[in-house]
Order: sequence, then structure tokens, then C-alpha cells
Amino acid sequence: MGSNTSEAHPIIANRMKKAAKKGLKIYVIDPRQIDMTKFATKHLPLYVGSDIALMNAMIHTILKNGWFDKTFLENNTTDIETLREQVSLYTPAYASSVTGLSEDDIIEVAEAFAKADKGMIAYTLGITEHHCGVNNVFDIANLSLITGNIGKRGTGIMPLRGQNNVQGAGDMGCLPNMLTGAVPISDDQHRNRFEKAWAVSLNKHVGQTQTVMLEKMNEGRMKGLYIIGENPVLADVHMSYTKEALENVDFMVVQDLFMTETAKMADVVLPAKGWAEVEGTYTNTDRRVQRVRAALDAHENLKDDWEILTDIANLMGYPMSYESSEEIWHEVRELAQTMYGGMSYERLSETNGLQYPCPDNDHPGTEILHTRFQENKKLDHPSPFIGVSYTPPVEQPDENYPFTLTTGRRYEQYNTHTQTKYYPDQVKQKQTEETVDMHPEDAKELEITDGEYVQVRSRRGKVTVKAKVTEQVQPKLVFMSFHWADVPTNKLTIDEFDPISGTAEFKACAVAIEKID
Amino acid sequence: MGETKKVKTICGYCGTGCGLILEVKDNQITRVRGDKDAPVNQGQTCIKGALGYHYMHAEERLTEPHVRKGGKLVPTSWEEALSLVANKFHDIKTSFGSDALSIFACARATNETNFVTQKFARAVLGTNNIDGCNRT
Repeated sequence: MGSNTSEAHPIIANRMKKAAKKGLKIYVIDPRQIDMTKFATKHLPLYVGSDIALMNAMIHTILKNGWFDKTFLENNTTDIETLREQVSLYTPAYASSVTGLSEDDIIEVAEAFAKADKGMIAYTLGITEHHCGVNNVFDIANLSLITGNIGKRGTGIMPLRGQNNVQGAGDMGCLPNMLTGAVPISDDQHRNRFEKAWAVSLNKHVGQTQTVMLEKMNEGRMKGLYIIGENPVLADVHMSYTKEALENVDFMVVQDLFMTETAKMADVVLPAKGWAEVEGTYTNTDRRVQRVRAALDAHENLKDDWEILTDIANLMGYPMSYESSEEIWHEVRELAQTMYGGMSYERLSETNGLQYPCPDNDHPGTEILHTRFQENKKLDHPSPFIGVSYTPPVEQPDENYPFTLTTGRRYEQYNTHTQTKYYPDQVKQKQTEETVDMHPEDAKELEITDGEYVQVRSRRGKVTVKAKVTEQVQPKLVFMSFHWADVPTNKLTIDEFDPISGTAEFKACAVAIEKID
Repeated sequence: MGETKKVKTICGYCGTGCGLILEVKDNQITRVRGDKDAPVNQGQTCIKGALGYHYMHAEERLTEPHVRKGGKLVPTSWEEALSLVANKFHDIKTSFGSDALSIFACARATNETNFVTQKFARAVLGTNNIDGCNRT
């Protein structure tokens, strides 16, 4: 669901394709006819942002037909009646009107997922980058739980992480509410443990998400900002809003490999070593911690990211010094022993990586989580179902902005292109500039031909971009990525956010498309 | 000309975490292959993993700290740049409180860097205003 796997996670897609040849049934749930549909049992091209209507109708259908294991639910879950009530409106007929899918297809996918001996839901930003991203994920959890697809091999919920160390950055505590090892900052016992180790008293109030930090910058209430390896000017929604926020900060530091669009706005720019110049670990999408090694001698004037931070810490009067990344990792393993205690660099090298939790040196790592659900006994803390309602994308198309724009990635490029613009000339690429992908019917109506430059306009900004006429998108839906700085797609996107996660609705806003005379 | 050395590492692009073998000669990556022993990719690579490394050798790589002087970012020493950062952060913390400071951490950097980043935010700046590009 909401995963353009073959372009964004090509190697995972290869594994899926291989499994499909051996009989795995793949249902691709995505508004676009992405490449994965070629390997799918069925493609369900739902309207952008209608995922909850589909999932609720699947749950409705499963409950109505009794396609669930009553004992599994009694042992492992609570609040099934609340969920039943919540989805009662979502008949296949109603969901069909909301999603654009046929009733038969909705019933088919519900039956296939419920009756499969093993079923897994893989998702990416197509699920989370909505104003209702958290609710989308709740419903994925509901669907997995009601079908018993959790806690055994070949089942589960698989969020495919977009960046190499999204998982690790969060687990290390780069979140406003969590300390290292995914323990809450507000928990006195855990916080005290860190206070003791670091000989400092810690702020117990949960901090702000990036979204709220930007809001506070716009209000002039955030005075200092330190950005490490990120280019929010191009990557975040509603570019003029982001720029205003950053301009409003009194003092901004950017630490990066390049003078990015964001670095150009900074008061201080600090150059750091990059991948292949540093030692350390990354945690991948299935919790595998793996060793990253330096292969190159960096320019002599460059420092490791962490070394820059410890230098500043010392100047600010807090002593912090590490001889190596391994010494830092030792501290991580001590503070988050239940997760990483058994993951010395030595073991990580010997094993080609270990999956956490791995509390001690004899522990083999944990391949499958949540196995308690499969033990056939009543859980002490069963999982509640959390029913959610469908809410349409915030900005609906209208007569002035008749198209829905959804955004994503393309195969060869990566995010704001600071790294992937350096492919050598001989590398043959499918796409070397941004396009607005539109359906042939829409192109015909607007008399736009393939390859023609057009203007795409939203309530927040406009860009000029080449049109690509393709049946990959539905009529009235257009697609763009944000890889190329000369077509800053995020000038168009909307600053509406999920109230819990703070993630922006990158996947849906209303735009107009015009010919350039 | 130097010898070619082979370095076993992990791809720095998406969250799949493919194992790679980098071939390095004269401090330049000359070739990247999928690591057959890596459990995740079993020797495979995509175009980004195999050919997306050239940015490491780009001339545009920053090699000097820059500070804004007279409206322009100009190259400077580490000493000057880091003292400025330390002083400014200290001043903001003293005048407006720790929560007037914030950090955007990096989901591309190592666990070790991310650990130090949040320790810096919490123990040095005194704020939990730390978040990253994993959210947006």
C-alpha cells in the first residue's frame, strides 16, 4: 500500500517479484499504475487518500463473513465490538463510491488477505504523508490484527524506511519524546538513568516536532536552529513558508557535504565527512544493525559529524569526548542494553549485522517481533483495536484547481538530488529532468502534448515543468517528484499536517495546469 | 598507482540496507559491487547503490567552514566557526531559554552521530526540540 517499491526500494521489490514467481499473491494498492502492478495479482487504483475507506470496508467484509479466528481475537485483542461499530458504515458499496474501486475488488482483496495463511502489509510514504497518516497506520494495524497476521514468519506490518538510517536515528533518540533505546523522556526512571550517566539534569518536557518547530520559527519564537544533513528548503512542503520560517531564525547552523539551498541561508556552514569516509552503524528497515566502514581518506580539513558536535559541547562547557565511533557505540549499548547489549562491532562484523533486540553476547538477535500473539494463550496486555474514520484530503480539487497533485520519487534520483546529480554521463537514466505526469485524456482536453512545458499552479506557488503524458496516472491526477532544484515541486504542496505525527500531506493538494503560450 | 583495496560496507541511500563492496584505488572509489554475503541483498544492487557514489568525489564538496560576514558566507577556520556557534547558542540559551533552540537531526548519518546529536541537544542545549527528516 502506498509504496512505489520498485523505484524507491528496488532490492526489496526484487525479493517480492521473485516470491511472486513462486506463488506469492501481491495486491498493489496505489493510485498510480506503478511498475509493481506488472507483478501483481491485482492492482487496486484507489483515489488518493481514500485508504481508510478501503481498509474499513475490508474489515467490515471480514467481520460480516466471519473470516477471522475467534480464539486468536479473544486471546490477543480487545475492543472488537467498538471496531465493528466503527466500520459498520463502510459497506463495499459505500467504499466503492469513496475509493473508485469496484465492490467486487474490495471483497476480493478482503477475502484474499483474511484467508491467506500468511499475509503482510508493506507500506511507505503513500500511507504516512497524509493529514491522516497516523490513522492510516492504525487501520493497517487493525487489518493485520483481525486477520492474525502478526508475530510469525511471513506476516506483519512492514514500513519500508525511505532513508538509510531513519530507523536508527529514531531509535537513538533523535525524536522530541524519546531517549536512546526508544524509552520516553517523560519517564522518570529512564530519564534519571541518563541523567546519572551524563552527569546532567535533563529537561523532562517533550520537545517539538519539526513541523511545530517551523511554526514557532514563523512566529519568531524559535531563535536558534542547527540542521545536520538535511535540505528542508527543497524537501519540505510549501517552500515559501519553509523559507520564511528559516529566515526568521536569529542564528542558523547547517552541517552538510554541500552548499545546499538550505546551507545558503545559514549563518554558519560546517563541512562534514560523508558516507564512505566514516565508521559506524546504520539500522535498516528490518531492525538490522550493520557496520558502515570508511573506505576513503577524507579531506584533512573535514570532521566527523559527531566530532563537530563534541567540539561545540566542550566550548559550551559540557565535556564530551570520544576517541572513535566504537566508543560512542559502547555508550549506546550500555544505555540501551536490552536493545543493543550484544551488538559489539566485532559481533556485527562476524554476523553481517544483527537484528535488535539483542541484549547480550550470546543472543542471536531477534528476527521476528510480537511472537506472543501466536502462543495460543490469553495475553496479559491484549492489543486494543483502534477504529478510525475516513477523512478526505484537506484540499479538494475545484473549478480553479481541478487536478489533484500527488508527489513521490523516481528510480535514479534521491530526494533533493544533492548526491544523485553526480552520476557520470555514461550512466543511462530513464529520467533526467522533472516532469508532471498526466493522463492522456487530460492532456487531450488541455491540448497539451508529451514533452511540452506547462505551468503547474497551486494556491501556494507555481512551477514550469515538462509534461509527460502517461496512463500511469488516473484522469484528474497528476504526479511529480521533488528531485530537481530547478522545478521545486514543494512550492506547490500544502502545509497541512497529521496532528499526531506532524507529517505533511505531500500526497495530495489541488493544482491547475496551463499551457504556456 | 596504488593497489586496489576492497572495503565491505552498507549502502547510504534507502532503508533497505544493502551490503556493498567498495573497490578503492588512489583514494577514489572505482567500483561498487553488491556484497554476496549480505543477508539483505545477497549481491544485488540498484543504480543508486552501484553508481550513486560519485558525489563523494565531487569538486563542490565543502572543505571549509563558512560564516556569514556582511551578508555573505565566507570561508573561515574551524576555530572561528565553532566559537561563533558555541557563543551564539550560549547567548540564546541564556536570553530566551533552552527551548528557543532546536535541532534537525540526520536520518542519513550513523547511529553514533545520531546518538551524539541527541545527547548534545539534551545535555548541552537543554532542549528536547530534536527531530529529523524521518518525519517530513
